[in-house]
Amino acid sequence: MSEALARTDPVSGLAFAGQGVTLSLAGPMARFSLRTRQPEALEQLLGIELPRKIGTSHDGAACLGPDEWLLRAPAGTTLAMGTGLPLAITEVSERSVCLIAEGARAAEVLAAGCPLDLDRFAVGRATRTVFETVEIVLLRTGDMRFEVEVWRSFAPWLSMALESAARPLR
Amino acid sequence: MLLIHCPYCDEARAEIEFAYAGEAHIARPPDPAALSDEDWTHYLFIRSNPRGRHHERWRHIHGCGRFFNAVRETVSDKFEVTYKAGEPRR
Repeated sequence: MSEALARTDPVSGLAFAGQGVTLSLAGPMARFSLRTRQPEALEQLLGIELPRKIGTSHDGAACLGPDEWLLRAPAGTTLAMGTGLPLAITEVSERSVCLIAEGARAAEVLAAGCPLDLDRFAVGRATRTVFETVEIVLLRTGDMRFEVEVWRSFAPWLSMALESAARPLR
Repeated sequence: MLLIHCPYCDEARAEIEFAYAGEAHIARPPDPAALSDEDWTHYLFIRSNPRGRHHERWRHIHGCGRFFNAVRETVSDKFEVTYKAGEPRR
């Protein structure tokens, strides 16, 4: 459905390159909010393995809470809706945008507003948290690569805040 | 900044991720109509407000989203223990 709408990004052209950090905007992707108390049913329906430990991710699925996962997949992916099963699959592709911070000093830039101990935030971890007062989902997808999922309306502010934090590294 | 241990995430996280949600272990009366006005008032508004160990609810709102219970020392603001909702009073 969303493909049919004219697509506008809330932040146009976030492209910051400094010493040790680059900030960019990820392309469109499909996102699904998965809720269930019976993850086995969800796994069977979707044919994927869901991480069970809160704050970890596996194969694009991040476990955000005891009964909640965020699944990120290539744009255009559709899922079976599991009618009749005790679970909820909601497409939330356009709810958020993904900002990417990459580089040896990316963690420092994020630490400007994120209270997590990013040194102990291992690759593969993913959690909901905050940047200043804005709620984000932070994913560490590589040793020097973080992805920040943020709701659209907060994206202009967050990208500005990240750029400000990175400015001394220009 | 306080660090609060979330029993669901099993991790100490910054206070800014949490929301306070009042005193814990206050059960809603099963049959409100059977209560006198005084008892109902007591259930709705009267809290223990101790100086010392306080059982309270918190929600990891910018995290896993779960409510849990905590025992906090109201004088020193130190969290003694946190435990999952539904577990017996500590």
